[in-house]
Amino acid sequence: MKYFVYIECQDGQPLSASLEALTPAAQLGEAVAVTVGSASAAAAVAAYGVPVMDLDAEPCCPDRITAALESVIREQKPDGVLFAATQAAKDLAPRLAARLDGGCVTDATGLEVKDGKLICTRPAYGGTILERLAVTAPAFVTLRSGSYAKPAQTAPASVETVPVTIPDGAVKAKLMEAVTEISEAVDLEGADIVVAGGRGMGSAEGFRLVEELAALLGGVVGASRPAIEEGWISRAHQVGQSGKMVSPKLYIACGISGAMQHISGAMGSKFIVAINKDESAPIFSVADVGIVGDALEIIPALMDELRKRG
Amino acid sequence: MNILVCVKQVPDDYVEIRLDGAGKPATAGVEIVNNAFDTYAVELAARFCEANGGAVTVLTLGKDGAQSGLKNLLAVGASKAYLITPPEGDADENCVAAWLAAAVQKCQELNDEPFDLILCGKESTDEISGQVGAMLAEKLDLPFVSSVIEAMPIDGGLSARQETEFGYIRYEVPTPAVFTIAKPGYDPRYPTIKNKMAARKAVIPTVSAAEAGMEARPARVVCLGYAEPPHRQAGVKVQEKEAAVAAAKAVALMAEAKAL
Ligand SMILES: Cc1cc2nc3c(=O)[nH]c(=O)nc-3n(C[C@H](O)[C@H](O)[C@H](O)COP(=O)(O)OP(=O)(O)OC[C@H]3O[C@@H](n4cnc5c(N)ncnc54)[C@H](O)[C@@H]3O)c2cc1C
Repeated sequence: MKYFVYIECQDGQPLSASLEALTPAAQLGEAVAVTVGSASAAAAVAAYGVPVMDLDAEPCCPDRITAALESVIREQKPDGVLFAATQAAKDLAPRLAARLDGGCVTDATGLEVKDGKLICTRPAYGGTILERLAVTAPAFVTLRSGSYAKPAQTAPASVETVPVTIPDGAVKAKLMEAVTEISEAVDLEGADIVVAGGRGMGSAEGFRLVEELAALLGGVVGASRPAIEEGWISRAHQVGQSGKMVSPKLYIACGISGAMQHISGAMGSKFIVAINKDESAPIFSVADVGIVGDALEIIPALMDELRKRG
Repeated sequence: MNILVCVKQVPDDYVEIRLDGAGKPATAGVEIVNNAFDTYAVELAARFCEANGGAVTVLTLGKDGAQSGLKNLLAVGASKAYLITPPEGDADENCVAAWLAAAVQKCQELNDEPFDLILCGKESTDEISGQVGAMLAEKLDLPFVSSVIEAMPIDGGLSARQETEFGYIRYEVPTPAVFTIAKPGYDPRYPTIKNKMAARKAVIPTVSAAEAGMEARPARVVCLGYAEPPHRQAGVKVQEKEAAVAAAKAVALMAEAKAL
């Protein structure tokens, strides 16, 4: 079976999550990487030993990228296209599935082929349930980051520039401006320690304690949605259904009640510590250590204790 | 502007859903609610119409019983509501989008007016696939912007602000268009008692799949079965008068588990 892997780029370089998708594509059969209008990204991907088609189109807006991919898929008829489950790809995959009458799966965590059919595993209901889905070709599957390791670099494979046909009128939504408001890079997914704060921190000042504890432990700061909506921290730090899925060795939740939509993003953590003044808070039912108390007092005491240990 | 919001009804997403004895999601007995992102879409639509004129219609593809969810929306900014029963049988997102496309046409016919803007929530909280809005735009061959948190009228169309991981992207589209809605910086309004009473008396027109011109179609994605990831167990609770004592105990437990 032949699978395309759509490689998303940032500043001319392939996203690491897109490279991860090369691994299952190769396991399923023949993998071909596809970049759109980026010779530099194409060359970077070829270093992983997977042949690359660089589509000859300007990747200037989602409508053009969709049309470029549609063109090459119609031409070459792969069994499917794999994507990293980024915000952009979560639009591309269903749009292409609708155009090509294929099947679409979001946030797959595992892929296999059985009796000639692609089978995907994916979480539903906030991750408390896993679904096994059989997909009719052409399949359009976004893969949750971290589900596969990216392949090792080998002898570089070929890069081919492929012309595409983009029909007039393909661009219906005109991209006017792309604005970066959050410039900090927050690697929650890759963090070994995450210290997260919620509404229970009470104020921007209270939330600083969460940041101090994270700094002391060399961890990354996470947050619940209310903490972000209060403006205590940028949304790059959000953990949960609408934020990041984290899987650190240690997750410390401070003043967080443990709503499904939050904790589903932290269930992959090895060890969970919760600090909450309400002893019946749901977070305690998933915490390995649950500290009942006022986070504004407990966090400074924790920091003292940790400093003592050096 | 005439705005249509497509609303899915889902099991209350504050309830943890596990598998039942038959290995299916145990949703029996869980309250059915309007999908959270769809309620954000209704609020965004209501605010848009209050600022710029227009009316909000809401549509649910669902079974008898879904009327009460629609009535709730009539109390918080929607002025018309339709319940359309989809064809029986397994469906994937592509089927749902095709049926919604037919339903959109039917609602326009019933309203006797076309829509300028069609909204869906960015994803539903049960399946969380985030596909239907994008597919609907394709079926209707209309401009599409996802994860919108603000829409403004411009000459001949709309300006839409899409929330991104690092900021936002602004698009301009001619109308009609399809947007999916993310969480804006505000929450949906609560109904006033007066609106609630009026909505309760409303009669929601119900339309069958055949009347809406929907046909059964093969699903491209079929669910073979479910599994549960391992459960997490509650661990040790530390409850002390003195913060310092609690901290010492907790740190000792973390060290013991090699979590530090
Ligand atoms: C569609 C949808 C998507 C969502 N996505 C996300 C998401 O991605 N991430 C997310 O986090 N949420 C998300 N939410 C919101 C989620 O449902 C909860 O509302 C949210 O997680 C609650 O945040 P919280 O725990 O900080 O606040 P609360 O639920 O208000 O809890 C605050 C907690 O702090 C405790 N507390 C108060 N004072 C103190 C103190 N001094 N010391 C110690 N404890 C104290 C309280 O006992 C309480 O348990 C989503 C909701 C919806 C509907």
